[in-house]
Amino acid sequence: MYRGREGQWAFYLHRISGLGILVFLVLHVSNIASAMWGPEVSNALMKFYHQPVFQVGLLVLIAGVLYHGFNGLRIILMDFTSWGVRHQRALWYGVWVLFLVFYLPFVIRIGGGILGGGHGD
Amino acid sequence: MAIKSKRYQEARLEASSNLELYWWVFMRISGVVLVFLIIGHMWMNAILMDLNKIDYDYVVQRLSQTTWKIYDWLILALALLHGGNGLRYVLDDWVRDPAKRFWAKVVSYSLLAFIFVLGSFSLFNHDFGVR
Repeated sequence: MYRGREGQWAFYLHRISGLGILVFLVLHVSNIASAMWGPEVSNALMKFYHQPVFQVGLLVLIAGVLYHGFNGLRIILMDFTSWGVRHQRALWYGVWVLFLVFYLPFVIRIGGGILGGGHGD
Repeated sequence: MAIKSKRYQEARLEASSNLELYWWVFMRISGVVLVFLIIGHMWMNAILMDLNKIDYDYVVQRLSQTTWKIYDWLILALALLHGGNGLRYVLDDWVRDPAKRFWAKVVSYSLLAFIFVLGSFSLFNHDFGVR
């Protein structure tokens, strides 16, 4: 079905990132839901998640979301156009171009926050 | 069985049931919607807002506005359906033993249903229309 290595990589990355996003979604909703128990509980949990290790995790997550989203658009183009499958490899490189364009602002913003300190309060 | 085809016409032929075809179509439609909703969500809360400043007050203020209730609830519902069905594909592929697969599905669907209820509660728990 997939001729060439890129298609196989695209497939596995799509699965892994999808699973990772689902795990994050469960943690994220639980975290935000803590607001229902009032500021003490909620702020303690937020402070916990503001630690640099979770911010690095967030950068990994955002990479996963952007890849999964743009590669998803590639899958849709392959499904619904007559030329998509023929150009799947070129499309995959297009996914990475879009990925870089959107990922850079997040790296600068969140990466700057991690390096610049000021987290955890 | 999950559909493996890469074209809509082939997917229609391969679909073991109408339901399986609807899921296949749903993954594409929800996917397109989610790309825009989630990039917008991340941009607002990580680029425009300083992540380290997110606290109880910010969350409650944001979740008190009807627009964000609808926006976030759309993400919640679509992402859980999209992710839950994606997980089903993965479990069908990677968990060979039928008994283990059955219980893996029971546990994961229950967890996702719980998260849907919890997320919906937190969205509708806060007052509407504040600011």
